[in-house]
Amino acid sequence: NSCQLSSLPLQILLYVNGVYYIFYFLATLAMVIYKSQVFSYPDDFLAPDLAVLFLMAILEVPRLYLGFKGNLTEAEAPLGLSLGLTVCSVVLCVYLLLWQTYVLWADVLLNAVLLSAYGLESGLKVTAIAAFVS
Amino acid sequence: PADAPDAAQALARSAPAPVTDVARLCVCDLLVAQCDANCCCDPDCSADDFSLFTTCSVPVVTGDSQLCSQKAAVYSLDVEANPPERIFKLIDQVNPSIFCIHATNYKQALYLKSPEIPTPENFDRLLDKFGGATFSAEPDSWNLDTDTQNPPDANETYRYEYGVPVQTEDAFLRLPSPVVSSWCSDENPAGFLVNQATKCIRSLSVEKCDSIQALSMLFYINSSILAAVFQVNITVQSIVVQSLNGMRTLLNSSDVLRLPMVLDGLCINAVLGVNYHITHTDTGEIIEAAAAFVLGAISKEALSIEQSFKISFTQENTQPVPLSGNPGYVVGLPVRAGFRPQGYPSPAGFLFAALALSSNKHSQLTILQSTSTQDCLAAQGARAPVLFGYNMISGCKLRITAAMKCQPLAQTLLDVLKGQSFPEYVASFGNSQAQDVLDWVPITQLHISEQMTSNTLQSSCQIPVSLGIEVKWTKYGSLVNPQARIVNVTATITTTTLKQLPSGRERIIPIMSSVVFTDISSPAEPSYKAWPTINIKLPFDFFYPFV
Repeated sequence: NSCQLSSLPLQILLYVNGVYYIFYFLATLAMVIYKSQVFSYPDDFLAPDLAVLFLMAILEVPRLYLGFKGNLTEAEAPLGLSLGLTVCSVVLCVYLLLWQTYVLWADVLLNAVLLSAYGLESGLKVTAIAAFVS
Repeated sequence: PADAPDAAQALARSAPAPVTDVARLCVCDLLVAQCDANCCCDPDCSADDFSLFTTCSVPVVTGDSQLCSQKAAVYSLDVEANPPERIFKLIDQVNPSIFCIHATNYKQALYLKSPEIPTPENFDRLLDKFGGATFSAEPDSWNLDTDTQNPPDANETYRYEYGVPVQTEDAFLRLPSPVVSSWCSDENPAGFLVNQATKCIRSLSVEKCDSIQALSMLFYINSSILAAVFQVNITVQSIVVQSLNGMRTLLNSSDVLRLPMVLDGLCINAVLGVNYHITHTDTGEIIEAAAAFVLGAISKEALSIEQSFKISFTQENTQPVPLSGNPGYVVGLPVRAGFRPQGYPSPAGFLFAALALSSNKHSQLTILQSTSTQDCLAAQGARAPVLFGYNMISGCKLRITAAMKCQPLAQTLLDVLKGQSFPEYVASFGNSQAQDVLDWVPITQLHISEQMTSNTLQSSCQIPVSLGIEVKWTKYGSLVNPQARIVNVTATITTTTLKQLPSGRERIIPIMSSVVFTDISSPAEPSYKAWPTINIKLPFDFFYPFV
């Protein structure tokens, strides 16, 4: 059977996700700096927020790489790992959306877009794994 | 029950809960149980009160405006209705900015921090942190211990302004003075051009008097003053030794440094007084500093001594004359006057008849001072200085008897009115120097005779009965800081004829002298700098071949 199992929508979404994530990281970091200047942002509240943001950035790189690799080589193991990392990223994103010290309206927008992208990606990954396995 | 006092204590320990409900918050409600005027949010006001208001002083009460959506209480007056009534609306205020705060998980973000209430447990910690006698720390430059002060820069010229502390190597030139009580404090700096004289008490023990720094001459002259290009050392001008019974002798040689030491139970060479003389240029640079000491002996029983300190500033090449203003006259200071001594051609320079002594009344413009007896002939010599800006009038009564001769009487009255040495010139400015000829205004003397009868002009003699000094002054200098300058001084002597009295009769005539200050300044016109003009001219040989 020569039909390809790699999912094109997943590939496009992963690519767009990568680009969007760079913008998201820079924008969130800039807003954290802005908040620390304008509002009263003590150090023991600033540290967890920054830690979560950088952790999410560190997780994003292997997540996207494994997603690309799994989808292109039609292997379910990397894709499954990528799905696991996506779940972690979703948790961190929910933290930044709900439990950050100051949640600005722009924060809400950015995180909502990122969450929807993750959700769509997870769905596509599940269908891709199902296609690869069977 | 035992719970109630505990509960009350617990309540007292915590601060009252902050009010955050916008509908109940009212900033203008200041009077308790009374309606505040024009305060629309005051709960004590009734509808009748609202009908008397003109505006609402607090129209909107909101929380932090950074929040994306928040409640706001809007108060307004409906003036159309009859009677006017207050409208209260609770609305949702929306902040359209994209950076508005949607939510915050940090409670103190939007509210001020409640201060910690002191309890017996945390009292010591709070006292350590916040307790102290003063609120602000002393500036570092006044700390004598640190050696790393700004090192004197040889290239920097130190120009002082009035009141600035005189800097020395380590800190500043100290003039010990009493601060709160009569005890000496060494932290009083000497201000430039501020002539000060202080007296204070220092406690001591005679046994250790050679180790007390403040009693030794070195303490007052060891630091050199930072000034001009190099540092100025304080030289010893003179030393006066005061014995135990108060007699003072001036020492011939003032080079030897005499340090305090204990001798026969007395402490000798202890500093009882220092008199600093600082010479400066007219640009504010100190060029010379000298100190005159009074050293004395302290007996064993003394527990404290009184020290006196004085500092005076003199401009170089001038005589230290007390100024009446700099440069314009200051209201209330004496008008300076002087003479041109005989033999000196004009305008080759002036000299004062008696220089530099403010106590010498003859070098000032003075008028007769009224005395309690009001008798002109008895109160010889009582004169009051003429103070700038103060119109004065004084007088006395003269009792004329038949036996009095006219000519000596006229001369005596002239002395009474004008004083022993009536000056010829008055200083135009408060700081006029004796060398500046043009800064002195001559006193114009006028004689007016009251003529009772027209034909008796020369036959009967005239006696002066009043002296009127009119000082005309003007405002001089800049519009924002005008200085008073004396332009014209006129002394008018009014004389009257003395009619011969039949013997046995006597008459009392009043003698009067007055000083009037008149402001003859013309209204000031502000002048502006001329607009710069464009000056374009072609070169001389621009059209060379043709012209």
